[in-house]
Amino acid sequence: MTIGQPGRRLMHFVPLAFVRKKATGGGRRSTNSNLSLTSMIDFLIVVVVFLLMTFSASSETPPAKGLIIPQAENTLDMIDAPMVAINGSQILVDGAAAGNTHSIEDNKRLTRLDELFNILKGKREVWKQLHPGKEFPAVVVLQIDQDVPAVVVKSTFQTAAFAGYPNVSFMVNQLPRSH
Amino acid sequence: MAGVDVGGGGSGRRRSLDSEINMIPFIDLLMVTISFLLITAVWSHMSRINADAQVPGPPRPDQEQEKIDPEKILHVEMRSPEKFTLIWKAGAQVVNSIEVARKDDIKEDKGKKLVRYPDLATMIEDQWKSTGSHRDASDKKLDQAVLHTDNETQYMYLIGVIDAIYQTHRKFTDVRSGKTEDVPAFNVTFAVN
Repeated sequence: MTIGQPGRRLMHFVPLAFVRKKATGGGRRSTNSNLSLTSMIDFLIVVVVFLLMTFSASSETPPAKGLIIPQAENTLDMIDAPMVAINGSQILVDGAAAGNTHSIEDNKRLTRLDELFNILKGKREVWKQLHPGKEFPAVVVLQIDQDVPAVVVKSTFQTAAFAGYPNVSFMVNQLPRSH
Repeated sequence: MAGVDVGGGGSGRRRSLDSEINMIPFIDLLMVTISFLLITAVWSHMSRINADAQVPGPPRPDQEQEKIDPEKILHVEMRSPEKFTLIWKAGAQVVNSIEVARKDDIKEDKGKKLVRYPDLATMIEDQWKSTGSHRDASDKKLDQAVLHTDNETQYMYLIGVIDAIYQTHRKFTDVRSGKTEDVPAFNVTFAVN
């Protein structure tokens, strides 16, 4: 067997002109190029480091499904507290149903939400039993849809305060401060 | 096969110290890690806006009450669609009152609305600088702002006004640690009438 000159072999012996033209590059610059492995690995490592730095191990509580949270600039970091979500007319406390806002919509005035009041009061009592001797933080976070009327917001705010949670926080989407 | 020579080199009959790191599983691992981190990444950052219900403590009939002069409180009236009214009150007495034209600066992005009131925020800051009671960096207390709204106003407008009130910041120095930080100048609550 004769020793041939080293070089490309693939598809060079296909008896079709257009294949041979493609395979040899047809006189044009080859479409094949080598990928620099070093720079690719550098890039991948930088991406991994960036994502690991921005990764949050503590799962952030997302807003309830279908709920559009308003946006604000002058905000504080989230805290771990009971989460009251108001989506349409449904009220949820930490994902569990806690009544609805029909009574407020009917009255069109500030109304205490009894079911929400009882659940929050129960949560406060459980917290006190689990943490004897500690000061109760009295914080509740409200996730409220952007189109909910003020009477519902104020009723929920007042109900939370009556149930022993005077420090009420409103969940918002954080925006960078523009000033 | 992609590989990296880690150098060294043996001599004689001993086992060679040369070895190759196989790059393919290494790149696979990086790709899988990137995919996992991208899938689990949370891009929208949630935060909160604070409000205080100002619930008074239980009555103490056994203790004699000292007469304290009522503090100045900023009342932000947003019932009118044309204007905001900023009223400083000490108890029932009106200290001063000013009106600000209401211009709803609304930006919408994929259904999410951002309502801003830059003129209101600037006016509240000016008012606080001239009339606020707790401006000293060593003062632990914050000035109180009370938001008056009608029952039909949508929540996003309330957040817009609360955001404007919280734009005013001041320095606070913790006496114990000596640290100075920027804190909001006001604490917001709702009027329930």
